[in-house]
Amino acid sequence: MNSVAVGTAVVELRNINKSFGAVQALRGVDLVLRHNEVLGLVGDNAAGKSTLMKVLSGAYIPEEGDIFIEGKKTHFASPMDARRQGIEMVYQDFALANNLDVAANVFLGREAVRTQLGPIAVMDNRRMEVEAQKLLNRLKIDISSVRLKVERLSGGQRQAVAIARATAFDAKVIIMDEPTAALSVAAIGKVLDLVRELKALGSSIIIISHRLEDIYQVSDRMIVLRHGLKVSDTPVEGDIHEFRERVVAYIVGARDDFGGRAAADKRQEA
Amino acid sequence: MSFIDHGKKQLRGNIREYGMYIALFVIVVGFSIATDGVFISSRNIVNLVNQTGYIAVLAVGMTLVIVIRHIDLSVGYLSGFLGAVAAIAMVSWDLPVSATIPLVLGLGILAGLLSGFLVAKMEIPAFVATLAGWLGYRGALQLSTRGTGTIIIPDDAFNAIGNGFVPDIPGIGILPGVHHLTLILGFLGIVLFLVSEINARRKLQGYESEILPMEMFILKLVFVTALVGGITWILAGYQGLSWTAVVVLIVIIVYQFITTKTVLGRHIYAVGGNPEAAELSGISVKRLTYAVFGSMGMLSALSGILFASRLRSATTTAGQLFELDAIAAAFVGGVSAAGGVGKVVGSLIGAFVMSSLSSGMNLMGMDISYQYIVRATVLAAAVIFDVATRKRE
Repeated sequence: MNSVAVGTAVVELRNINKSFGAVQALRGVDLVLRHNEVLGLVGDNAAGKSTLMKVLSGAYIPEEGDIFIEGKKTHFASPMDARRQGIEMVYQDFALANNLDVAANVFLGREAVRTQLGPIAVMDNRRMEVEAQKLLNRLKIDISSVRLKVERLSGGQRQAVAIARATAFDAKVIIMDEPTAALSVAAIGKVLDLVRELKALGSSIIIISHRLEDIYQVSDRMIVLRHGLKVSDTPVEGDIHEFRERVVAYIVGARDDFGGRAAADKRQEA
Repeated sequence: MSFIDHGKKQLRGNIREYGMYIALFVIVVGFSIATDGVFISSRNIVNLVNQTGYIAVLAVGMTLVIVIRHIDLSVGYLSGFLGAVAAIAMVSWDLPVSATIPLVLGLGILAGLLSGFLVAKMEIPAFVATLAGWLGYRGALQLSTRGTGTIIIPDDAFNAIGNGFVPDIPGIGILPGVHHLTLILGFLGIVLFLVSEINARRKLQGYESEILPMEMFILKLVFVTALVGGITWILAGYQGLSWTAVVVLIVIIVYQFITTKTVLGRHIYAVGGNPEAAELSGISVKRLTYAVFGSMGMLSALSGILFASRLRSATTTAGQLFELDAIAAAFVGGVSAAGGVGKVVGSLIGAFVMSSLSSGMNLMGMDISYQYIVRATVLAAAVIFDVATRKRE
């Protein structure tokens, strides 16, 4: 996927502010995602996780703050804008057309065209099917045929299709919004395997999740948001129980020491 | 697995699709027996085709409208109004047919885009927006025919669309009394069908996907060949293909191609299946809504032309209830009200099921009131069947 050296930033968000009416959803959040890194993003409901990711995926335009992709300052006016620059989002509800088959969903909005007859573009179905099958094989996704309609797949398979679609066009960054929330335990394991597979293939990934044990299993680093502020940015390491306790303390606000005393006081004022 | 088992499995797997064909088959055979063969006579079949034509083209457009989760109630009176415009254009403005038809089709597209504007841009529910269209075009039809009443269309070329037949190739000695061009077209159609089916099958074998077992595949080919061959023979024995049949065939071929082979068609079904997902994939739901309503408007105009041509006149009540016939045809043809599901060929079959019922019951001299009730039952049964088979999957 990306051959850039591991460790450099693929995405950097600086001082992002976004409000909805009187509610300040994001109050100057910074975020760095490095190449080939899996970053967990956690926080309570309304902490600003989804808002932050919607800013990065082009669905929301922030009032203040800058977005840098591989060091270059950019501006997204729409999700398509972000997609063109390699930012792919996997939505919590999968955002698949259930009445279409797997191949059609993987290529939705980016169909391979065989011939262009004026305004009418004739699809190259065979190529899309072959490519979709290759993609599933590469990600070790177990679906018997790319001609199966999505409505006939299990929840885990649908999530796999949604993730496969995000990776189909050399994405720089894949954002996953609660990829395991709607799944059974067995399916969760498969999705986490898929995340590991993607990392092995060189992807950079941000995962939003409520399930700390999932994030712990696959992430390299974790950011905690609380009331629209970043309250923790820590490598994922150590014993899971200790780790969970520490992160939960940040999530609920029992612990507030990120960036030193001064920063914490400033947060208190805000 | 035995042949019968395969047949059963195949039937169960595709019951929704085959059910319609079986229904049409039962209706045709039933009425043929009940009317001592009058139903299946060349004359009646030609009549049936010409009567179904103006509903069938509406049903094709309606299929796409319902697929993207909308409805268009305005198409009936729009069709009537545009038929009247065609008549006025030829009678009062002295326009030739060659100018009248493009003019009316263009107006149809504009009317469709107006509905599209109300639905896509103003975000008015399609039911309400097109109900307004229903009222408006009804008024427009009455206004345009108020001074004159029924407008008689004197143009033979125009009237041929709804009543005439494709001329035969002159000078062929063999098989006198048979329409040669129709036979040739029918034969070509069958060959084309066989070639494409065999090709598709060969392509499929490269994948792991399920294909029909050989015997079933041959049975399907034989069945379709016999059906097309039979219809061709019946039509060729009379006066050949009617112009209406040609128009309907062209519409079906074009729409079948667009819906199954093009990016536009793929996006229409994607919007029907999940509008939010389509939008997130960069598909403009608004633009597609305009396109689908624009096409519906054009087909309404075509329907108006076919109907006015068939009656050789524009009447004050033209187009009345066409919208409901078209919607019924689409639902009988397997379109789902939930959106995203439905084929144009299905709606064509649906239109033929409904008009075959009317034709057969008329031939049997059945009271019109009972006819409505029978058609109501068939419509309800078709949708119940559809919902039940969908649930079981």
